[in-house]
Amino acid sequence: MVEKQLTRERASSWSWILQAVTGALLVVLLGLHMVVQHFVVKGGLRNFNDVVAYLSNPFVFLLEIAFLIVVTWHALLGVRAILFDLGLKPGTERRWTAVLTIVGVLVVAYGIWLSATIVLQGA
Amino acid sequence: MATDVRPKPVERKPLEWFNLRGKRVGFWAYVVMRLSAIGLVLYLFLHLVILIQLAQGPAAWDGFVALAKSPAFLLLDVVLIVGILAHGLNGIRLGLIGFGIGVPRQKVMLWVFLVLAIAFSILSALAIFSEPH
Repeated sequence: MVEKQLTRERASSWSWILQAVTGALLVVLLGLHMVVQHFVVKGGLRNFNDVVAYLSNPFVFLLEIAFLIVVTWHALLGVRAILFDLGLKPGTERRWTAVLTIVGVLVVAYGIWLSATIVLQGA
Repeated sequence: MATDVRPKPVERKPLEWFNLRGKRVGFWAYVVMRLSAIGLVLYLFLHLVILIQLAQGPAAWDGFVALAKSPAFLLLDVVLIVGILAHGLNGIRLGLIGFGIGVPRQKVMLWVFLVLAIAFSILSALAIFSEPH
């Protein structure tokens, strides 16, 4: 019982640290994303041709994918924390973790597919 | 080692978020964190879905860009930036306290971060609405 409790406390501490680390990364990645995609762009949004040209820069492409991974991870860890605060059974918690992991992988896969599709339109 | 800076388990249940009577200002910050989190997650998914128009060619995307520059949309942009600032700055505050930085001065820190969030929100709103669209 105590051992089980300790395991759960430790798990919650790990997710807290992961949330803090992804959060700190987001300060940089979201900051960069806002500046390069919106603040420096006249009117705040690029037109189609400019988006394709801009995303074709490999450094920009990788930066956006990194941002996508970190923001999705942070968001779903947050959803998980809110769900867990409802006071779920350990089995239900594990199932939610599995569901959210799958959602996260699908979101990242969609984002990579979409980014690649956008770049290929300029090729 | 990270300290758990969250409210007590019973206070973390969603219905309790709206019971602010007799709660400390730190609890208000917690509620702002949770509500902005939900808003930002919904926004993230909406943002990713809207970007699919970039896979549908110039007409679809450039049509959306025109819509996104309407005043109503710009107002939503301000709401988004306020949400990001509230969540991000409060997150930095929680991260610092969680790792044991500035704990004795956490009250001052909370008010400093709140002032920063309000100041940056006003600056962002001015920047968004003063730019010609």
